[in-house]
Amino acid sequence: MSTVEALLILSVVAVLWRLARGPTAWDRILAYNSASNRIFVLLATISVLTQREGYLNVTIVYAALSFLGVIILARFAERGGGNR
Amino acid sequence: MISDIIIGVGMLLVLIGTLGILRFPDIYSRLQASGVSDNAGLSLVLIGLIVRGGIQSDDIALFFLLLLLLVTNPIVTHSIAKSAFIQKHRAGDRQ
Repeated sequence: MSTVEALLILSVVAVLWRLARGPTAWDRILAYNSASNRIFVLLATISVLTQREGYLNVTIVYAALSFLGVIILARFAERGGGNR
Repeated sequence: MISDIIIGVGMLLVLIGTLGILRFPDIYSRLQASGVSDNAGLSLVLIGLIVRGGIQSDDIALFFLLLLLLVTNPIVTHSIAKSAFIQKHRAGDRQ
């Protein structure tokens, strides 16, 4: 089962490459959303495998806050801030 | 056993989605790769974790996390696509 964690970390690194490289601002927003999705599934996996139930509350709060941040960034790029 | 199969299928979908995000040429293609295969793959990984753990008290948190992922990911995809379309970024612009 640690194979799942290794593959998730690998895909997080690959998506963060798109966040650093991305040509437009929307690529960076999309990469940030995908990276945070993978990170909270990785946190849930670690929580189930090591029997630590406290991590799941952290995971839920992290998912809600990353959703809020992505929506705010997308609305900001919609009003014309996306040329940088 | 069953949970290993479900998590394996989910991880395969997540890796296909990562490859699509890295290699597709356009923002809308990348949104399609992210929106379809990430949603299915991460949901399958969470379902596999629920099946693996048995009936425990943390199943409610995992189910709530799955519900949050299934609700928010299409909203985010639609919002990014609408934002790119309003800013006159058309498909086929290789920037």
